[in-house]
Amino acid sequence: MRHLVAALSFWVLGAQAADPSKILRITFQAAETGFDPVRVSDYYSGTVIEAIFDPLLTYDYLARPARLVPNTAVSLPEISDQGRTYTLAVKRGIYFADDPAFKGAKRELTAADYAYSIGRFLDPKKRSPYAFLYEGVAKLETPERYTLRIRLKHPDLNFGHVLAFSLSGAVAREAIEAYGDESAAHPVGTGPFRLKRYVRSSKIVLEANPGYREVVREGRRLPLIGGVEISIMEETQSRWLAFQRGDTDMEYQLAEVAPTFITPGGELKPEFARRGIKLERSVDPEIIYLYFNMQDKTVGGLSKEKIALRRAIAMAYKIEDQIRIIRKGQSIRAQYPIPPGVAGHDPDYRSSIAHDPRAANALLDKFGYRKGPDGYRSMPDGERLVIRYSSTPSERDRQFDELMKRSLDSIAVRLEIHKDRFPELIKLENQCRLMMRTSAWIADYPDGDNFMQLLYGPNSGQSNNACYRSAEYDKRYEKSRLLPHGPERDRLYREMTRIMETDTVWLLTDSRYRNVLLQPRVRGFTKHPVMHAEWLYIDLE
Amino acid sequence: MPTLLGVVLLVFFLFNWVGGDPAYILAGKIASPEAIENIRRSLGVDQPYWVQLWIFIKQIAVADFGASWSTNERVSQIFATRLGPSLTVLVPLLLISTLLALAAAMLVAYYRGSLTDRAIMIGCTVGQSVSILVYILVFQYLLAYQLGWFPVQGWGSTFADNLLLYAALPILVGVVVSLAPDIRLYRSVFLDEMSQDYVRTARAKGLGEGRVMWLHVLRNAAIPIVTNVMTQIPGLLAGAFLIERFFSIPGIGREVILAVERSDFPVIKAVTVYVAIATLIINLAADLLYRALDPRVQLK
Repeated sequence: MRHLVAALSFWVLGAQAADPSKILRITFQAAETGFDPVRVSDYYSGTVIEAIFDPLLTYDYLARPARLVPNTAVSLPEISDQGRTYTLAVKRGIYFADDPAFKGAKRELTAADYAYSIGRFLDPKKRSPYAFLYEGVAKLETPERYTLRIRLKHPDLNFGHVLAFSLSGAVAREAIEAYGDESAAHPVGTGPFRLKRYVRSSKIVLEANPGYREVVREGRRLPLIGGVEISIMEETQSRWLAFQRGDTDMEYQLAEVAPTFITPGGELKPEFARRGIKLERSVDPEIIYLYFNMQDKTVGGLSKEKIALRRAIAMAYKIEDQIRIIRKGQSIRAQYPIPPGVAGHDPDYRSSIAHDPRAANALLDKFGYRKGPDGYRSMPDGERLVIRYSSTPSERDRQFDELMKRSLDSIAVRLEIHKDRFPELIKLENQCRLMMRTSAWIADYPDGDNFMQLLYGPNSGQSNNACYRSAEYDKRYEKSRLLPHGPERDRLYREMTRIMETDTVWLLTDSRYRNVLLQPRVRGFTKHPVMHAEWLYIDLE
Repeated sequence: MPTLLGVVLLVFFLFNWVGGDPAYILAGKIASPEAIENIRRSLGVDQPYWVQLWIFIKQIAVADFGASWSTNERVSQIFATRLGPSLTVLVPLLLISTLLALAAAMLVAYYRGSLTDRAIMIGCTVGQSVSILVYILVFQYLLAYQLGWFPVQGWGSTFADNLLLYAALPILVGVVVSLAPDIRLYRSVFLDEMSQDYVRTARAKGLGEGRVMWLHVLRNAAIPIVTNVMTQIPGLLAGAFLIERFFSIPGIGREVILAVERSDFPVIKAVTVYVAIATLIINLAADLLYRALDPRVQLK
């Protein structure tokens, strides 16, 4: 009987399916790597995965800062055992998209699918780049067909965000086993879209999943569009011309040519506005920062003269030039380690490090960094002072090198640029062997914890690229992990930020704008801080 | 064989010297030393160099380079699916540019010193000094975006669509770029031949200019022309990465750039070895062609 009801409901709902004539055409500026959630780490593959697979939780599309809501779960998780146990009930009657792997049968989503999917991240053989998000999982239990219980090794009140992460969607064991090594090209999920055509590194065509469960927003069943056609276009000119010709509906990867269509005030230029083109502008949930290796013998350590040196360098660095010249005005000054749109962000916080080369010079003079006959300063003990800044050989990094050179020249500090390829820099960074580098962090999930962990001592050699260890900071961080988002945790975050600033471990520089251009026919788009595939909510005229 | 061995050693040591540790790319944002080591073990890059080199040689022997480290796609599958688009652009490009360059070079060589000759030679010198990137940017903007004669970029699902619609502008760009150096080279070859005694003899015998040029001069000038054309053929395997990137052609050139960006050694290895083997075969074919074109040539 249940199968009969399910079949009837599929027939009825199928009749109201998304309009197949509405195809959203977009571009990716880099090739995807595949659609097996455990194997990917790139933004583009993650975006497609988000559209095909369903995590247990998701985010309210419009709430800011981002707010967790149930997706395939009946409700938000029941958290017990002081944050060590998460229990969730999976909604009944959700089915995977039809696939030969199911041998003609309808395949219902159950708690075991989530246990299997999360378990794959924990399997070292899968060598998942996102395994770190799930490493707190101690045990996955399915006491009932629709009940999932996750036991964690340590209390973690933020684990709900991991369950909403785009790669946390459920895969079906049968599909993974049927396609084996090719499962990255055969994604089978319960999400709003399914893969229709796939030409690797060139074209990804998704169609609305006709079996998608009933999700209604403002009286209309989602998704509203019939499909998404994604073209991989690496070059900015190609994307820009294609958008202007109307070949694509949405374009957000145009930072290099942003001054062409955006006024200095951040508005869309009138010639584009007249054509009905719309601009959706938001700040990415990311921070760019210049870090000092706290274990380095020249700039590291917590003695007063070392703090003074770092402080002077930070005060000499002209962030304004980074924003104006390198970003072409397409970023904002970052004041706080948690960017806008992320829970814990403090819009009123102001960094205590201001651009002031005169004060920076005075500080260096005071702490014994004397100028020699060559005009450059030496260490207080008379040794040669050379700051080694690491970057990749890219054109963009050359601009950073030049800015750093100008900045350090203003305080008479000698600079040496260390060039290496990205993987080698990461390797040296993980070994705490770089002196200084500009780094970036984009939110995996929209909670302050994802950013504040970047300075937690035990994360040295991994995400803590400054290799910073401060008992005061760590004590507060550990306390914050036991608190939900709220005033008490925010207070701890502010204290931690001041500690970091006092020690001058980082110089926070900026967070980039995301400028999304939309053709007049696109409706209902709002950039979400962490959801990438907003296609579920978009409509086309 | 020694050439191939040299290529194998060069690519192997270059990759290990400057290629970067792929484990740090594949490991993602936060990776523990154990995770890094696990990746290195699964890729086999934790093995001693001589073991890795031996595996590489065995892969060449069985023509199986395994799977891409970043996408897990079989390298053989990458070649099978990406070579077609590259050849769709590059084969017509090579044919058209060769024929046009031959015709133009013969014309300017025949009218040596005339206004036509000087104008074309100045045009070639200027054209040759401009980067291919400029041609791509200008042609894409003017011919595709402003005039709408071609698609700005893209690739279809049928051969006819791709050849006649999507490949047309990339071929045009490629032809324009390669014409200038080819015309200059072929012109000097023709001029060398036209001053030979046999040309004067042919004319003295009363042969028509067309027959003198197309039959006698062209045939005797064929060896450097064949050499030039044949040296371009192995490049077809490596694709034309700039053209493929700007026009979003899913060819092998784009794949090579992706592989380099991702430190995807299996793909880099395969491309290098295949291009080296193709170069060896093409060189052999060129030698045989020399013999066919000029019986005086002795192969030893």
